[in-house]
Amino acid sequence: MSFSSVADTRTALETAGYICTREIATVVFLAACTQKPVLVEGPAGVGKTELAKAVSHSLNRQMIRLQCYEGLDEAKALYEWEYAKQLLYTQIVKDKISEVVSGAANLPDAVDCIAGQEDAFFSERFMLPRPLLKAIRSDAPVVLLVDEVDKSDPEFEAFLLEVLSDHQVTIPELGTLKAVHIPFVVLTSNSYRDMSDALKRRCLHLYIDYPDVQTELAIVRKKVPGIADGLARQMVDAMARIRRMDLKKIPSISETLDWAHALIALQVETLSPQAVADTLNVICKHREDARQVRDQARQVVNFS
Amino acid sequence: MIDLILQFVACARAADLRISTAEVLDCLAQIPLVDLLDERQVNAVMRANFAKSRREQHRFDHLYHLFFHELQVDEDVADAGSLAIHSDAIRDSLKAVEGSHPELAAISDFIAGDPSAYLQLLREIQTDGDSRRQGPGSNLGALVRRFPVLRALDRAAELVDRFLAGHRDEIHWETRQQVQRHLKRRMAVARNLLTREEVPDTPLIRKQPTGDERKKGIGDLAFNALSPSEVIRLRETIASLVRKLKDTADLRYAARSRGILDAKKTLRRAARYQGVPVEIVFRKKPPRKARLVVLCDISGSVWSSARFMLNMLYSLQECFDRVRSFVFVAEVAEVTRFFENHTVDRAIEKVLTEAGIDYSASTDYGLMLRQFRRLHMDAVNKKTTVIVIGDGRSNYANPEVRIVEEIRSRCRRLIWLNPETEQFWYTGDSEMRTYQSICNEVRPCGNLNQLSAFIKDLML
Repeated sequence: MSFSSVADTRTALETAGYICTREIATVVFLAACTQKPVLVEGPAGVGKTELAKAVSHSLNRQMIRLQCYEGLDEAKALYEWEYAKQLLYTQIVKDKISEVVSGAANLPDAVDCIAGQEDAFFSERFMLPRPLLKAIRSDAPVVLLVDEVDKSDPEFEAFLLEVLSDHQVTIPELGTLKAVHIPFVVLTSNSYRDMSDALKRRCLHLYIDYPDVQTELAIVRKKVPGIADGLARQMVDAMARIRRMDLKKIPSISETLDWAHALIALQVETLSPQAVADTLNVICKHREDARQVRDQARQVVNFS
Repeated sequence: MIDLILQFVACARAADLRISTAEVLDCLAQIPLVDLLDERQVNAVMRANFAKSRREQHRFDHLYHLFFHELQVDEDVADAGSLAIHSDAIRDSLKAVEGSHPELAAISDFIAGDPSAYLQLLREIQTDGDSRRQGPGSNLGALVRRFPVLRALDRAAELVDRFLAGHRDEIHWETRQQVQRHLKRRMAVARNLLTREEVPDTPLIRKQPTGDERKKGIGDLAFNALSPSEVIRLRETIASLVRKLKDTADLRYAARSRGILDAKKTLRRAARYQGVPVEIVFRKKPPRKARLVVLCDISGSVWSSARFMLNMLYSLQECFDRVRSFVFVAEVAEVTRFFENHTVDRAIEKVLTEAGIDYSASTDYGLMLRQFRRLHMDAVNKKTTVIVIGDGRSNYANPEVRIVEEIRSRCRRLIWLNPETEQFWYTGDSEMRTYQSICNEVRPCGNLNQLSAFIKDLML
């Protein structure tokens, strides 16, 4: 399955439960056509990871996720030799090994004999593929999500380049492994640090911002089907006002959705200052933020 | 279309947007895939390829609007071809008249539809103007640089009028009017660009990383010549700087922390592989962190530097073993607890209001040192680095050199930071010369670049 046009991409994503702007749809469409990775930036909780999920859903591909963190290395991201299995096999085939070696006259010959069999132990059989290798060696095309790539170390970023631009992985013992299918790659970043120019050059860049009122309303309706129309509108308006305040952590879409669920659970029908104050913990994740919103609860719901 | 995009890229590069050839190729390959008649799609393609960070996006949008909206010829002009011919003729005549003026040449290119030279000129004004400031708090530099361009604009308008008047007979009056109207509009755009203030970066995301160029401007400003908005910008810059420093420090520690073989753990792991030590474990060395004692002069001028330094030190607290801070004018007081219980910004406010110091007293380094020795000398030991930040102006009181010597002999390092400009160090009541000979290190610390260089040396 693939996208045929920008409009088609948009509807497909919408069917997968992801409301997006035309810019997002265009970039996703281009990435699918040109098989380039997409670097998605934006504040936390605006749906960066969700975008990858929606793409995987709408393209009907499996999603492989690689969560980056400080200290992530090749062994965790790419592949690892399965030492235990190798050892176990060596034990089991001990007799066979002595058979192979038996013909050898001296030690160097024996070593040569064993060296001839080396491939048996360093083959894909004993390799534990990690997300990156899995993604490029998979039989069916997949969506590869490299989440929070800004948290990884610069060394890891450098080594990601080979995978992203040439779709191949070099393993010293085996040589270079080419991709069977080129995966649809989504990298997400919170701009914790700037990515290198080399990485940026290989990617399409997409910045997802806090949505405008219309988009957010559509998202709330889609994700929280049970919500009353008036309440959804009030909520989204209030959210827009909260975002204009000087907060430490500006609430994003995920908070809006949590809030909607909370309000429904509390059976709130219209948003009042009291309701805002009660459900504040869902929106604000800092004490000072909560205090500020509580103080201005009346303005937030436009209650004069 | 290809020409148009290449032209746009040339403009964007002139306006200091970094676009690589590979990105241009990508963009050209992708353009045919989208609906060319839908501007938003085309815009999205270009944005995705050319503006690869939040910072650049604003500049990109700005340029995009300029290039594709403000600079394009209106449809209502009947004869676009003749218009182009005439504006080219005008450009050539403008260039012939005044070959020596780069401003005028750039403007004539601009009105003929090639804005890159003009944009480059504007950018130079922006960056140059900032670095060549006339004095503390002045923005005259940028103004002075703008002036010749303004004059060139007026001159260009005049020349255009003269050209049209001179060629009255050769050009049909209708075309002439069109050309005139068209050029007027272009001139207005050019003038507008020049006088318009740079749009500040988005305030929405405060976590945003600050660019090196922006830092360059603010890094050279003296701390005591900052406007309130610059203070805020400086804080942001400090925050990103601190993050960068932390990253570097963590990397260093990670690389350095490999110690000797941890036999116990290695054997334990080996049990998983039938006693073969497949995974070898090393002991981690705890990183040696500096223990700091900071003595801050908070009288008037020095305080503006001191508070930025405290801000940075406490933001980096986890990179140091312990930071103890003292403030003084004449008497000395410990303010560590403010920083332990409050956020850095709050703490700095609190230091000024609640430290219990007489701010109206005249600075007396001798008294401060005597008090420090009596009350807080236990804070100084072989592991501590003592940092004094002050101008060393002791109002001719006893400088108590012996105590400084005693402190130095007790601590690992004694560093004196002076926020004053170096040329005033040894004038008047300054005791810098006396103290200088005792300290391990004396550094000027009047702006962000000096401060961050110092902190970097301190940490690594």
